[in-house]
Amino acid sequence: MHRPSRTTALTALIASGTLALTACGGGSFNEKSDPAESGATGSGELNILVWTSSDAENDAVKSAVDAWSKDTGTKATVNVASDLVQQLSQGFAAGNPADVFYLGAEVFAGYAANGSLLAYADELSNADDFFPTLRDSFTYDGTFTCVPKDFSTLALIINTDAWAAAGLTDADIPTTWDQLKEVSAKLTTADQVGLTFGAEYQRIGAFFPQAGGAMTNDDGTTATVNSAENVEALTYVKGLLTDGVLKYPADIGAGWGGEAFGTGKAAMTIEGNWITGAMKTDYPDVKYRVVELPAGPAGKGTMQFTVCWGIAADSANQDAAKKLVEALTSTEQQLANAEAFGVMPSVQSAAADWKARYPDQAAFLDGADYAVGVVNAQGSADVISDFNAKLEALASTDPKAILDSVQTNLQAVLDANS
Amino acid sequence: MTTTSAASVAARGRSALPRPSRIRTDRSIVRRRVATSLTYAVLIAIAVVYIYPFLINVATSFKTDPDAAADPLSLVPATWSSAAYARLFLRSEFPVWFTNSVIVTICVTAGRVFLNSLAGYALARVDFRGRRVVFAGLVAVMAVPGVVLLIPKFLVINQLGIYDSYAGMIIPLLADAAGVFIMKNFFESIPRSVEEAAKIDGAGTFRTFWSIVLPMARPAVITLVILSFQGSWNELSHFIVSAQSPELMTLTKGVAQLASGALSQGNQYPLKLAAAAIMTIPVAVLFFVFQKRITNASTGAVKE
Amino acid sequence: MSTTTTARRRPRGSGLRGREAAAGWLFITPVLVILGLFLVLPVIMAAWVSVSDWTGRGSPFSGDVGFVGARNYRTLVAEGGLATQDFGTSIRNNAWYVVLVVPIQTAISLFLAVMVNRKVLRGRGFFRTAFYFPSVTSSVAITVLWLFLFSASGAVNKILSYLGAEGPNWFNDPRGVLHVTLSAIGIDQPAGALGAHGFLGITWWEWLAGPSFAMSALILMAIFTTSGTFMLLFIAALQNISGEVEEAALMDGTTGWQRFRYVTLPMLRPTLFTVLTLGLIGTWQVFDQIYTGTQGGPSKTTLTPAYLSYSASFNNGHWGQGAAIAFVLFALIVALTILQRFALRERNTVPRRKRFNQPPPAAGDTPPALPTSTGSQP
Repeated sequence: MHRPSRTTALTALIASGTLALTACGGGSFNEKSDPAESGATGSGELNILVWTSSDAENDAVKSAVDAWSKDTGTKATVNVASDLVQQLSQGFAAGNPADVFYLGAEVFAGYAANGSLLAYADELSNADDFFPTLRDSFTYDGTFTCVPKDFSTLALIINTDAWAAAGLTDADIPTTWDQLKEVSAKLTTADQVGLTFGAEYQRIGAFFPQAGGAMTNDDGTTATVNSAENVEALTYVKGLLTDGVLKYPADIGAGWGGEAFGTGKAAMTIEGNWITGAMKTDYPDVKYRVVELPAGPAGKGTMQFTVCWGIAADSANQDAAKKLVEALTSTEQQLANAEAFGVMPSVQSAAADWKARYPDQAAFLDGADYAVGVVNAQGSADVISDFNAKLEALASTDPKAILDSVQTNLQAVLDANS
Repeated sequence: MTTTSAASVAARGRSALPRPSRIRTDRSIVRRRVATSLTYAVLIAIAVVYIYPFLINVATSFKTDPDAAADPLSLVPATWSSAAYARLFLRSEFPVWFTNSVIVTICVTAGRVFLNSLAGYALARVDFRGRRVVFAGLVAVMAVPGVVLLIPKFLVINQLGIYDSYAGMIIPLLADAAGVFIMKNFFESIPRSVEEAAKIDGAGTFRTFWSIVLPMARPAVITLVILSFQGSWNELSHFIVSAQSPELMTLTKGVAQLASGALSQGNQYPLKLAAAAIMTIPVAVLFFVFQKRITNASTGAVKE
Repeated sequence: MSTTTTARRRPRGSGLRGREAAAGWLFITPVLVILGLFLVLPVIMAAWVSVSDWTGRGSPFSGDVGFVGARNYRTLVAEGGLATQDFGTSIRNNAWYVVLVVPIQTAISLFLAVMVNRKVLRGRGFFRTAFYFPSVTSSVAITVLWLFLFSASGAVNKILSYLGAEGPNWFNDPRGVLHVTLSAIGIDQPAGALGAHGFLGITWWEWLAGPSFAMSALILMAIFTTSGTFMLLFIAALQNISGEVEEAALMDGTTGWQRFRYVTLPMLRPTLFTVLTLGLIGTWQVFDQIYTGTQGGPSKTTLTPAYLSYSASFNNGHWGQGAAIAFVLFALIVALTILQRFALRERNTVPRRKRFNQPPPAAGDTPPALPTSTGSQP
């Protein structure tokens, strides 16, 4: 009879149909997943994840990695993530993270706490060369975990053409808060605002040490966000906003302070070393100078940012990864990076060289003497992004209310950690 | 109907009734004409509001960056510039995104048509035990909102080992309870006599389905093709959670990241609008070709 | 189906019936497997993650992941910390979005449907196409376009400047629209209780802030893209209303408006219900537009529960919390749908106050339903 064979044929057809669809997904198009897989199976290939930055930085990292790859014969690929945090998180959850990746100081503690990171820093030959403050940013539970790849501080960037057009001279360079306000007012015209910087703690936080305040106490157990000094600092910034001499980049149609500065929408901006790379590539015609931030009532203050090269504990190529990181943080490589995209080397042996080569960026390195790092307690990332959200509405909110709310949140986080 | 009765009243009025009603009828004609012109005016105004943004989209993609910021409303660029398209095709991953979207959409559409028509036929016409339970299950499944599935789908895809692969992007999208319903409803409307004739001729279930009933279901299949194409071409959240490597990025995810500043830090509107314009072309073409069918389907695709 | 029974009983699973049953199961199995794997299993997994302390590494079902009961839910709803505030903010934002989008999009799609459906109209096809086209495009493409149109120096602000008004910096303005209007008439501070107490970590005063300008731009975008789909549903329903009913109403001497209100609208009730339900379910799940456009900013005024669920898990590693948010949202949507079904249900008896004659309520007979009051809304 035909019937039984028909049913079998039918079964076969449906099964093969479904399989064919899977093949549509599985087969020849799937070569891509191999590099990531092989990272886990130890065939020696390295997967490096970095975030989007200026073209200058991405190109510099890629060429450095390619050069190392050629020298050692280990294949290494650099992937530029559009959302590093999300991709890292997905990678860890999938059990298949990148081998080497950028890790910001703010999120470092979280990853160190859940065991995702390999504590390799002390094993590198140049472990003692890193600046002590940077070393502290990446020490968890007493262990120096990952090495800082470079660091930057904030300084005041001034458009020299706009400066001259407003009739200002070298003597007018602001060294106090009042002078900053005056100069910003003079530079504000119909098409150009005097001063701009991002609506975030990573910029506004520079004013807190200038007023004598800090986010936490020295050993990081108590939050001091709503101290009188911080309120004074935030009230000053709000004053600049309401006077119209300061505008956030988003309010003048720019994505960040550097874009607002480069396109001429603002005459001054507060940004870090990375702006020099962006200016060279994207806005080469704008002439500018870099000066230290003005001092507040309690003296000078600025913020310091650093990023480390994290190595995943799950990586199957730990030795190769360590060698790569050591090469990428060597003195020569760091000076080459500084040349390409303007960051400051994280190793002390390169400091004198750097200052000699880039005298016009000396203000950045001088800031390192009195710079404070970002809050890096575990779990503080949420509090900081909430702080940033509130700062966007600073012009219409009470500074003390904002700081009180952040104080409560940060204290809750610090309590949970202890 | 209203027109004819009113017109016949008017016609009668003119000959049979005294003068006052003729003035009344004349006035009602004028009133109706005014009302119609008003309707047209309102509709045209609203249509302009609905169409103009897309014209701006295309026009701006041919403008230069400063021109786009300075003159956002005009449909004619001050200087024609294809820089945005050049950047898009030559210096970004856009072609990869486009290819991936095409691959995924074709596979998903083919898969959905095949699987949904099979399942729909089984539910409509094949008598098997547990049919009602399965049907109730499908209804229940349709009630789960998509947002609940965002995280867990990632977890499941992960556990199954198909994360970051075409399989992970395509297979979960094949699950389409609504499509099963469309096919089921259609198959139920096909007269049983056709199938009974086939059975008498000795055809098995699959043969009946494949050679006889399915060809008759062309309208429903076309509807399914249109809905599946649109659904998978425009899908975003699934692609966010099912893959992360740049080689697998689809148009939706790529353009979304372009919009939040991935390619560069800056407001490059012509570039983003060019990407959006090209992304819209395939669905627009499909729409215009199958217009009548889409606008006549009462169970249209729902946009969230 | 079963033909005339024969004397002998056929054992199940053999012969024609059995083969058909096997074929039936075979046909439906692929769909069932896929739905089971990617719809049912995820829900179960999410439920487990929401009551566990999984940190994001390895499998959630592995041995070191512990059961923590309702801790994630409590952090979300009861504790008052940052997580509660974020959740409350997202619910507030989405609630305003729903309250504004659903009625307006229903009204506009009904209006368009009625306009386009008029018999005297030529070019009906053109108008239908024009109004439906935005619904066909991807939400990503439309969001990108909207970001441009509503930027600080964009088309919308240009038009507003022609009209003499200064448009706000739409996507970057975090002020709530209601707060702005209230402060324009002098009310800046919350009155006592409003500022002191709150719900889900947010004071009542902040609940009443209204959507921000950024959210308002998104609301306009939602109406723009969904009115076309619902317009089609209404057109289909309108065309199903038989012309005889309209003519009968015309004969009774009703005006156009009365006809619409007492005849057409009640007959559209099922479609109205569908549109409202779909609208509710869709608006509570806003995600694509937020991910593409504003990522919750400015100042968390476009944060929605769906986006919060995603960002808590994928960006911040709080997987349990993210899953908990998703389930709370699920419960909310189901509750609202049931509520809406209850509110709009067909009542078989005429409400007492609408009856024209009041026979004594005896003998269990209901008074005749008069045409003018059947099914009309109070």
